[in-house]
Amino acid sequence: MGISDVIPVPVAVDEEIEKWTIFGQPVAEVWFTTTQKIHEIIEMGPIKNIFNWGRKNSIYFLMQPMGCCGVEMFVFGAAPYDSDRFGCIPRNTPRQTDVMIISGYITRKYLPVFKSLWEQMPEPKWCVAIGECAISGGPFYDSYNIIQNTADYFPIDVFIPGCPPRPEQFLEGLINLQEKIKQRKDKRGY
Amino acid sequence: MTTASEVLSSLQSTFPGAVLESRVESDRRLWATIDSAKLLDVCKYLRDKLNFDHYSGAGGLDWIARKEMEVVEIMASHGSHQVVAMLKVKTPRDNPSVPSLAGLFWNANWYEREAWEMFGINFEGHPEPYPLLLGEDLVGVWPWRKDFKGYPDLTTGQRAVERINPQGYMQYYIPPTPAEIEAGTVPKERPKYPSLREREERDIKSDSEMIMHMGPQHAMVPGPFLLDVLVEGERVKKAYLDLGYIHKGIEKIMENRTWLQGITYTDRMCYVASLSNNECYCGAVEKILGLEVPERAQYIRVILEELSRIQSHLIGTGEFLTLIAGVGYAPWQYMIIDRESIISLIESVTGARLTHTFVRFGGVRNDLPEGFAEKCRPVMDYMRSRINEFIALFEQDPIYHLRMDNVGSITPETGKRMGASGPVLRATGVAYDMRKEDPILLYPDLDFKVITGTKGDCHDRIDVRLREILESIHIIEQCLDRIPAGPIKTEAKIPKKIPAGEAYYRVEDPRGEMGMYVVSDGGDKPYRVKVRGPFYATFQTLPPLLEGVYIADVVAIAGSMDGCPSEADR
Amino acid sequence: MDGIIESITQFATQEPGLFALIIGIVGAAVISGVVNIGAMFVIWGERKVLGDFAGRYGPNRVGGRWGILQLGADAIKFFTKEDIIPTKADKAVYVWAPIVASMATMLVAAAIPFGALHINGKDYPLVVANMDISAFYVEAALSLMSIAIFMAGYSSNNKYSMLGAFRGIARMIAYEVPMGICVIAVAIMAHSLNLVEIVQSQTLWYAFAQPLGFVIFLIALITDLGRIPFDQSEAEEEIISGYNTEYSGIRFGLLYFQEYISALLGSILLTLLFLGGWQGPIIPIPILDIISPLIWLFMKVVIVLWFFVWVRSSLFRLRIDQVTDLGWKWMLPLSLLNLGWAVLIGSYFA
Repeated sequence: MGISDVIPVPVAVDEEIEKWTIFGQPVAEVWFTTTQKIHEIIEMGPIKNIFNWGRKNSIYFLMQPMGCCGVEMFVFGAAPYDSDRFGCIPRNTPRQTDVMIISGYITRKYLPVFKSLWEQMPEPKWCVAIGECAISGGPFYDSYNIIQNTADYFPIDVFIPGCPPRPEQFLEGLINLQEKIKQRKDKRGY
Repeated sequence: MTTASEVLSSLQSTFPGAVLESRVESDRRLWATIDSAKLLDVCKYLRDKLNFDHYSGAGGLDWIARKEMEVVEIMASHGSHQVVAMLKVKTPRDNPSVPSLAGLFWNANWYEREAWEMFGINFEGHPEPYPLLLGEDLVGVWPWRKDFKGYPDLTTGQRAVERINPQGYMQYYIPPTPAEIEAGTVPKERPKYPSLREREERDIKSDSEMIMHMGPQHAMVPGPFLLDVLVEGERVKKAYLDLGYIHKGIEKIMENRTWLQGITYTDRMCYVASLSNNECYCGAVEKILGLEVPERAQYIRVILEELSRIQSHLIGTGEFLTLIAGVGYAPWQYMIIDRESIISLIESVTGARLTHTFVRFGGVRNDLPEGFAEKCRPVMDYMRSRINEFIALFEQDPIYHLRMDNVGSITPETGKRMGASGPVLRATGVAYDMRKEDPILLYPDLDFKVITGTKGDCHDRIDVRLREILESIHIIEQCLDRIPAGPIKTEAKIPKKIPAGEAYYRVEDPRGEMGMYVVSDGGDKPYRVKVRGPFYATFQTLPPLLEGVYIADVVAIAGSMDGCPSEADR
Repeated sequence: MDGIIESITQFATQEPGLFALIIGIVGAAVISGVVNIGAMFVIWGERKVLGDFAGRYGPNRVGGRWGILQLGADAIKFFTKEDIIPTKADKAVYVWAPIVASMATMLVAAAIPFGALHINGKDYPLVVANMDISAFYVEAALSLMSIAIFMAGYSSNNKYSMLGAFRGIARMIAYEVPMGICVIAVAIMAHSLNLVEIVQSQTLWYAFAQPLGFVIFLIALITDLGRIPFDQSEAEEEIISGYNTEYSGIRFGLLYFQEYISALLGSILLTLLFLGGWQGPIIPIPILDIISPLIWLFMKVVIVLWFFVWVRSSLFRLRIDQVTDLGWKWMLPLSLLNLGWAVLIGSYFA
């Protein structure tokens, strides 16, 4: 469609308006746009960068200590290795968190609980796996009760190896997640 | 003071023919095989006449070559004497059945449930034979038997199937491994712990009651467990407890790793105080081998274990303070900052912050670095002044007393009957400390007190832990003064295949009495390792304690037990 | 400057209705902007000061060394989250609860003076609606937040939210009465319920003239705002975030911000009633002498808010039955005692 379909304008003006673009989309099309078009503009343009800047700088994680790495998670949120510097504070309810930290072994009994916690979290959400047990079962890889392939159940963005990793490695993992969000390379494609 | 041989002769004279085999290992250890028909009478006699009032644990064993199963009952005493009696009961493998001691000893309940679900041993007369650690799809396969086909299982997660269970919740059903299906050992009928809807229908009597979840995802203790409370308004009427959410099967895995590799697994049981776990395992193997640990290694072990105790108490107390004060509470962060200095001391020796794997059979892995004593002493002085500050801070805080006094009180008799140990029992006034009851390493030569409380409520438990830190500082300073030069490992060569034998070794974990029963059959892998964890016993005391309290107190009581569900679940 | 004031006062006397309408519209826009930005700074300040008490830094990466833009990032994140409404929740009440919360705080902000401009020896108070009973109205409107808490807790179809809602109502009812009695005691000594006149009549600060009333009002205010040691309706470890357990995204952001907006407005009320409001010596520098009452009010409010954060990081949380015990058995009789004291002293000083 063009402007002249709605308002009678001279042809020269019409042709001029056809050339204007906004955020890479022709203005004439944006004029008669749908929600889909607005969505596309936000996806492509600098507005998304602002959204991602906001999301990466205020990551709330779910307070859920599971294994040995859970103790290091407490220390990570507290004084010496302060994660509040990066805007990252622990919350108790999954509805208000962005990141699910898998800090330990997932067993058969716990898997459905964990999955329902993950599904209660609102989008956009990310997942970080800490420690060997969360990545591949760790030293308990051949146990009858441990889930070895956590990456098949949750879309994990950052794997932090170690048994257990130091809290500085947690911070490095957090910064890597922030980089991923900024460059829109995360698994869910936000 | 009774000794093991006196106990044995008393048993043999009172019950002729009940004791089938016996072995007196030392003044404090008695091994006896009891006829299963007379087990109840023997245990009653031991409890009433010979003061064996502490039922320490029970474990099952599968002697597949001899076609029989064995249950080992560990009995001890709360301070009347120091004898530990290990009573074994044999039963045929086809239809294993042993009389249940749950009527005599209140805390035998969970040990027998676990032995049933792992081995299939039927305990006659047990009040609630529900599974404890295993989920629904594993009950009935008896995982710890030697012919369990589902281990090693490298594809557990890949076989999971999503389905909606009858109550309407999404569930992952993991079908048996192909090897199990081929062997034909998959049972059809599976009993299970009653689900939420079943409990609601059974127990809710009026419209103003509801069942509220306070787990498995919670911030009370570092590890998931299910705690549901039936509340009316703000008062709790009944509490339900279920474990198994981080059951890794360590005891089964250790049977398939060599002796040296097993030390890494003991770390991951109670990860907050992993050096005590290492010590327990290595001590048991040293007993089987009959090794002597050189003196310098003993000093290093004691110093590091006391340092580990200090940092475990600090994080346990600090974590508890956030439960009653919110995350913004400042002294919990001070405790974490102080704990960092202790952790860097331990790290300079062992190389790791949390899971150390430092103790070896017959010694330790490294020597202390240069200048360790010069770094350690200022830290100890600083810690002493800080802990005194913390004790004074909590004493003068009126809201602390409002929240903690007379909350979750345990009388000494109840504590002993429920099988608690560690700071939980010492806060009630019973002076029961493994370092005095069953002294290992250097503890007979060191001078320290056993700290007790008076009332057994939350306030006393925290107080006992803080003052125990002061005692540990005193012990470390004594050791640093007297540590000799010398070898850190025994000169004898440790064989790859440990000769056949068995041993039971007890240490004082920061959470209580920890014991390991290790059986070797002459191979290069353990035949059976049974862990008697402290928090397993203390955990059992939680549901009766929580009746009639407010919801806010539930969190205070559960947190003040300072537990590690990973050690209960193994 | 004088000419502008002349013409404004002339317009105000000639068309009082239109003047009030214009002040209302302009004031509403300005005040809601100021109050929201102010709440952002209150939250930022709380995180930094909590970190300082605990021996760590608060936010210091976002927006420079001081982390000023941290709350901007939080707000953007809340805006762009998915909107989840539980299936069995009471939809209308669920959606309206955060809106009622912001209505409550805006109602307070409409009547509370935010300071004064000192022009030519006269103080012109900055207030949108200068009511004659504004002290009583502000104190009552501060408690409308409890309706929003109850709506949020009831409609979420969640056991934790319901417990949080009940606890919120219990503590509100117990502490509104002592708070109101303390306000009346101050009004008796000031001979007026208008907040502007209360400030102007404080030759001796009422914190010193009625110390018992000051302490009771302070404790009741901390309870009203739902801060530790009285935050049982939002106790994180026991009932998993209480009344706002099921809220996510911008709805949670609104509820979260309203808590801190009422903290800001409550501390302004405390300063106006007890700490002399915007009174203070005039700074003799040309521009600063016009806004010097604002500066004094700002400093006093900052000290009161810092005190609230200090209390948060040092005290334990009380149990709900201990909170209601304290309210009915101790605060109510003491506030009546304070009322008697105010009547005696007020008649002496009159």
